[in-house]
Amino acid sequence: MKKLKQILSKVLEIDEEAINDDTSPDNVEAWDSFNGLMLISELESGFNINFTMDEVTSTKCVKDIIEVLKKHGVNLYESS
Amino acid sequence: MDNVKGIISSKEVSGIADYFNLYRRIKQEVEDKKPQGEKNIKIAILSSFTINGIKETLFVKCWELGISPIFHVGEYNQYAQEILNKNSGLYKSDPDLIIIFIDIRTIMGEYYLLPYQISDEQRKDLLGEKLKEIQSLIQKIEENSSAKILIHNFELPSYSPLGIVESKQKFGFIESIETLNADLRNAFKNDSQVFIFDYNSFCSRIGKQNIIDYKMYYIADMKLNLQYVSELCNEYLSYIKPMLSLSKKCIVLDLDNVLWGGIVGEDGLEGIKLGPTPEGRPFLEFQRYLLSLFNRGVILAINSKNNLDDAVKVFREHPYELLKEEHFAAMQINWNDKISNMKAVAEEINIGLDSFVYFDDDKLNREMIENALPEVKVVDLPEDASIYLKTLMELNDFNSFYVSEEDKKRGQMYAGQRKRQKLSKRTIDITEYLAALDMVVTIEKANSFNIPRIAQLTQKTNQFNMTTKRYLEEDIKRFSENKDYLVSSIKVEDKFGDNGIVGAAIVKKGEERWIIDSFLLSCRVIGRRVEETMLAYILEEAKEEKEKTLIGEFIPTKKNIPAKGFYKRNGFKLVEEKDGVGKWEFLMANEYKYPEFIKVDKK
Repeated sequence: MKKLKQILSKVLEIDEEAINDDTSPDNVEAWDSFNGLMLISELESGFNINFTMDEVTSTKCVKDIIEVLKKHGVNLYESS
Repeated sequence: MDNVKGIISSKEVSGIADYFNLYRRIKQEVEDKKPQGEKNIKIAILSSFTINGIKETLFVKCWELGISPIFHVGEYNQYAQEILNKNSGLYKSDPDLIIIFIDIRTIMGEYYLLPYQISDEQRKDLLGEKLKEIQSLIQKIEENSSAKILIHNFELPSYSPLGIVESKQKFGFIESIETLNADLRNAFKNDSQVFIFDYNSFCSRIGKQNIIDYKMYYIADMKLNLQYVSELCNEYLSYIKPMLSLSKKCIVLDLDNVLWGGIVGEDGLEGIKLGPTPEGRPFLEFQRYLLSLFNRGVILAINSKNNLDDAVKVFREHPYELLKEEHFAAMQINWNDKISNMKAVAEEINIGLDSFVYFDDDKLNREMIENALPEVKVVDLPEDASIYLKTLMELNDFNSFYVSEEDKKRGQMYAGQRKRQKLSKRTIDITEYLAALDMVVTIEKANSFNIPRIAQLTQKTNQFNMTTKRYLEEDIKRFSENKDYLVSSIKVEDKFGDNGIVGAAIVKKGEERWIIDSFLLSCRVIGRRVEETMLAYILEEAKEEKEKTLIGEFIPTKKNIPAKGFYKRNGFKLVEEKDGVGKWEFLMANEYKYPEFIKVDKK
């Protein structure tokens, strides 16, 4: 979870503590469409996976991101 | 400036988001302040698609080099309108560098995927027209701006609907883009304002299958994977560095495990790894490429803890040693510490430490130099010697916009310099020494042959430079075409060889008085009274036009101490001093002669 929060915090300019499942473009000012794509790019290189286009367009909040990462076999609770 | 350095060094950069992060933090730090780097540049970026990230990344990379940049980024796919409209943001931003990034998909439209929907002839016409469009856009920029123009060429596709018979076509899809690239290159070969960035090579280096992330392309029209924006910006720096005189001049090398494998003092001449074996080839090829850089004008020098005799034995006797004593401008091979040796190299060659790139396999040595002499660029040499060559080839620090004949001969000139220094040790009286050199100084008014070199000298000369004004070729050309300016180059030959064009003077002719705009001399010939020859020439020209006074300015910099005092020593009187800038005046009524022992040839 730490790694995910680090990436989210870095790209979206928010504190790691402020991140929860409902964090989304609606409540984060910096989460615009470009930063959304940059987030995808950083998640892909950070976790060494590739999202599909549908996953990118349907991901609306942090909860969705966690779901997609799980689907790609990322264990968010590993101590990495 | 120091604060920005602190921000940059506090952060390890791993991805594009880190660049955005740093961008925001530096921006905050420098906001509302005037450009405060030692070097400033205004960059305009025009493109045919979404290029978010380039500005932010390049901004950070510029600051890493102490450059304070200002950006203008054109609107999405509005490059043509911006270029054609004289009042556009592009021209208002008054850029020094304009980067134009148009991609092949935009150029070909739907025919990119349907190339054989049209005939070979039609495709030829289509691309021919696009080339003309680009040419006329660039012409337009040249009419309205003196900025350097950097235009991308086009990525060659790595697929074809015709598959393996693509190469059998009379004028195939791929060939048509190859032709476009060749035509683009040829169109600007002789235009010093325009440079073609080989984007196709860049894509090949990154890998064409990685360069585009298709989902990003479909979602946001992004045609360059965000992960490679940083690499692209590194390529842009290859152009920015020489624009701001940040190019390096000299490679300083360690010996053991750098030029050859093993330790010559222990393994002996026969024991070191150098030659056509798997362990020897990395060093052989590393040397070969160093020689290649030497041939384009990069100075080589040695800083090594070793027995001089052991090293010289390798230079003279090893059958595969390519670099010999004659290639090195300085050889500090002894048991002194690396820092003093580095300083000694700088002194011997007479160039600043900030012109050095240092290769050493020992991490501790590298750190020591980095800490003690931060001006030196220390290469992070990998442990594996097989990657030495790649590391060397990837350095983009030796660029100049023009490689002169002088550059190509620089190595020999330094060899000559060593002989001159030997003579200087023998003869005690300086005048006798100079007279023994049999110098011939050729002074020539600016013409198409010497203009590029004059511009290059204004960019590179730091020490004997009265005003340190940096000019581009276009500027010098403009001066030379203006009858109110005297622009001349100075060439120096002596009995040890031809130094080539080593100095220049630019003088603004006014009513009653002439003002020296630039007066500079390469450090190779400082102190040989060529400077006085140059001054005598200007005075002679002024007298011919019945001028009464000559004004010279001295603008102090960190480096031009050797030029300080020149006007004073030569009969000028200080008439004004403001913020350290001195204004000096010479009255024509006073006599001033050429040094006796120099033969002067005016052209």
